Amino acid sequence: MARRASRGTRGREPLDLYGDVVGAALARRPSLARDALRAGFDFTAWRVSHLPDKDAPLSSQHAAELFFTRLTGALDHPESTAVTSLFLPTEVFQALGASPVCAEALAGTCAGAHAEAPFVAAAEGAGIPETYCSYHKVLMGMATSGVLPPPRMLASCSVACDANNLTFKTLADLWGVPHFYVDVPYEVTRASALYVAEQFRGLARAAEECFGHRLDEAELSACVARSQRTLALFDRSVDLRRGRYLAGDLMGHLMGAVNAQLALGTTAEQLVATQLCCDLKAAPVSRGLDLVWVHTAPFFLAPLTSHLDRNPDAQVIATDMELCCPGGEAPWFGPDQPFEAMAERIVRNCYNGPAERRVARVRELARRSGADGVVVFSHWGCKHTAGASQIIRAELEEAGFPTLVLDGDGGERQNNMDGQMRTRFEAFLELLRTRREERDDS
Amino acid sequence: MTPSTSTTSTTTTAGAEPRTVFYACKYTPVELLAGFGSQARLAEADVASFDHADALAHPNLCGYGKGLIERLLAPDVHEVVLVTCCDVIKRCYDVLRRQGKLDFVYLLDLPHKRGEAERRLFRARLEDLAEAYAAYSGETFDVGRALAACKPPVPRTDERVTLLGAHATSALLRTVSRDVGIAVENATCTNRQLLVSPPPQLARVAAAGNCEACEAPAAPGQVDVGRTGGTLDTFLDWYAEALLDQMPCMRMDDVSQRKALRDERGELGVVYHTMKFCDYYGFEYAEATQDGGTPMVKIETDGTSQSAGQLKTRLAAFGETLRGVSRARSAAGERRERGGAKDGASYVLGIDSGSTSTDAVVMDAERNLVATVILPTGAKATEAAARARQEVLERAHLGEEDLALEVSTGYGREAIPGMDASITEITCHARGAHYLMPEVKTVIDIGGQDSKVIHLDEAGDVINFVMNDKCAAGTGRFLEMMARTLEMPLADFCAKGLEWKHDVKISSMCTVFAESEVVSLVANDTPTPDIIHGLDESVARKTATLAKRVSAEPPYLMTGGVANNEGVVKALEAVLGAPVATHPDSQLCGAIGAALLGLESLA
Repeated sequence: MARRASRGTRGREPLDLYGDVVGAALARRPSLARDALRAGFDFTAWRVSHLPDKDAPLSSQHAAELFFTRLTGALDHPESTAVTSLFLPTEVFQALGASPVCAEALAGTCAGAHAEAPFVAAAEGAGIPETYCSYHKVLMGMATSGVLPPPRMLASCSVACDANNLTFKTLADLWGVPHFYVDVPYEVTRASALYVAEQFRGLARAAEECFGHRLDEAELSACVARSQRTLALFDRSVDLRRGRYLAGDLMGHLMGAVNAQLALGTTAEQLVATQLCCDLKAAPVSRGLDLVWVHTAPFFLAPLTSHLDRNPDAQVIATDMELCCPGGEAPWFGPDQPFEAMAERIVRNCYNGPAERRVARVRELARRSGADGVVVFSHWGCKHTAGASQIIRAELEEAGFPTLVLDGDGGERQNNMDGQMRTRFEAFLELLRTRREERDDS
Repeated sequence: MTPSTSTTSTTTTAGAEPRTVFYACKYTPVELLAGFGSQARLAEADVASFDHADALAHPNLCGYGKGLIERLLAPDVHEVVLVTCCDVIKRCYDVLRRQGKLDFVYLLDLPHKRGEAERRLFRARLEDLAEAYAAYSGETFDVGRALAACKPPVPRTDERVTLLGAHATSALLRTVSRDVGIAVENATCTNRQLLVSPPPQLARVAAAGNCEACEAPAAPGQVDVGRTGGTLDTFLDWYAEALLDQMPCMRMDDVSQRKALRDERGELGVVYHTMKFCDYYGFEYAEATQDGGTPMVKIETDGTSQSAGQLKTRLAAFGETLRGVSRARSAAGERRERGGAKDGASYVLGIDSGSTSTDAVVMDAERNLVATVILPTGAKATEAAARARQEVLERAHLGEEDLALEVSTGYGREAIPGMDASITEITCHARGAHYLMPEVKTVIDIGGQDSKVIHLDEAGDVINFVMNDKCAAGTGRFLEMMARTLEMPLADFCAKGLEWKHDVKISSMCTVFAESEVVSLVANDTPTPDIIHGLDESVARKTATLAKRVSAEPPYLMTGGVANNEGVVKALEAVLGAPVATHPDSQLCGAIGAALLGLESLA
């Protein structure tokens, strides 16, 4: 029997008031909205550091602290910040002591604070198409309204989606800051990695110029070595997840996805991965449903969180955004070739190339983690996932994993139909439970 | 075989029709394929439905991508070469491969940059395609055939409008040309043009390569691609760069060259074509609106010709703003010559045939309104127009022979028999609004069918205008549907909305979406006035977004049926941060404008 959600439909929630304050401030003076947002983010960063959620596993507590500390650091110090696309390897910035921040982190946090709507409106008012990815719309809205101060530099790559080819160029014009673009070939070959490695060298030169100091290649190699160790640990965790209940939540998976890219190469992220393996070994046996989640996690939607947040009856056991990079396969390049190693990671990312690569990754995650089913979240405006959604569904079902394609918006709560989402998701959970009961009976 | 290729058979048919390779992108190497004796054919995605695409991919792809899936799954398509233009096309390729119905399907990876490294990369990819196609078709490359396929650039026409933006079908080009009434230059991706001609030495290589004495068979076990005499290599050395250096499309990294597509000599205006879920051209349009140089109108289609029918008003109005209103002028003289008006006739009739009401006015030579009539349009627009014409003449105590000119406007303007001229409601509304409120700079007209914002100059001429997209969001129809959802008469709906107490946000995305939200709010016991206020605000936000696109400025005048909804007017004032005036005769704005333009033409 599915657990009932706390409310039938979305009405006013207490945090909506905070969103209203930010919206009203934005209409009067952008700096007021910036202060309101910063106060909210700083408070959250303090809370997750000093009053962590004791019910959450230690790895999740560390991940939350890492996510918010880095986010607030980036907002507080734009002079040492680079706004990047999510999947761009960022060890160059880490080695330079700069902080990378991405649309998904900013927009996700705004959505968590119920403050995304005014920025979506600001972006659409500036002519950004309403069918654009809402994560990017919020970033654009924060920039065009003057709430987000110009960073030192912008850097993006063509993986995973077209939005990276548009947002950053437009922001570079708007802010008048340098933008470096990394074009990632579609073919997953060593030759592609070598081509991308040259671009990373160019990125390093551009970043040196922007941040005003030389890149220490030894430090870069150390970052890349940590990245490779971290990815290996995350890969090991996939097998450890099988049959374990970790008391996670959807917000944790979004933070995990952001950390797994933007904090990869840091000691803190390596600690998160190490702790995750420890948590999994100590975790109780999972008696509920285990789902593999494809694409972003809409952590603010009650129809989903009521079933998936800290609920032993159902959990997301793995997501393809957190585990999109190869970790189990032998790397082509070691840390002694840091540019090539970073290039390899983006070229071999499962979001690059044909949809069959993503299918293969999701299938692998489902098999190794012993998942009951798969949810493909088709995020509004993301043609990359939407176009592949039925292929993933068909292939995963052929592999024996019931798959639900769920349409919604991971960045803007107003752009979701709660009632329909609840019905579809609960029906899917019912289907999986029936299937499991039948399997147990036989 | 690379991951970007899929072939299922090798069928060489000597002496048969040339093979046809369907393609979608201007970066497709059609000349290279011609070198293998194949003809490349642009896959026009002008299809009747998206049923397969919705099922195999997702409804939230652009209409072009969905149409392309439908088209390329048709039984006459056997060979396809696609390019990694955008996420949608990459997914089209995935869908086509999975369906497995094509004999040859290849995805060519196009670099985003155009430096030296990218040229080398692109050349290698073209070589890979050549090898894959040679292996599949059994044909060898002939540089002469490839060079023969290189078309010289088409000279530009003076006095033209440029069609920019997302893929334009030939049907759309015809529509734009017909409705704007000016020659159209296609600057969308369906106009493929290499900017350079092949160098003379390639022709010499062609001659040498065609010499049978020089030809040697391919080594055993190797595919004969056509490397004899180095022809393919020499061709690719030139061709990779020529293909990559076309006018860049918006997915390329450096698109600064595209500015040359706007504001060039001989260009009277730009028609900008967008599609929902095509972000690339949405961004270029947003940037172009900020330039403010060349007059521009935005049209949105779903890539099919079914959607083109709705464009008539905005395209014709755009044509009028570019050409000046000359049709009414010549019509006055024609009417006199026909003997339709007696000597000294000085009254002018204006009729606005709208989707909800048909309005008629008679104006005298001193610009005074002599009589007015507002009738519901009902099922037949022509009958309503005939009744309105008869009634307004009766009220004015005039006969047909007293009329110097009869001018129609509105959706049904072309269908009304006996009119001397028809002018779009954009031009007429602007002139009518100027008559009612001479200081007005921006007209916000929200009618039953569409909403528009018109930016005026001091004389009441149109500087710029914008209309809502294809969907009903932000129109009177949207509010009518929501009133129906709440089971309230429209008048009660408008009044109730003023009693709101708490903010309720409704998504402005789409009518269907909003209806679902309203149902959820009703189920949640949200007070009805709050829901209505949320809907009013949604319309206001949508309209304000339109207003920004034309650099709207106060004083504002609101016209159209929704001007009677005080809740929307107040919401608009809040969003725009300025008063929004209404006028008791605002519903007659279009008809008054038609009569005024008629009067001006008599002067």
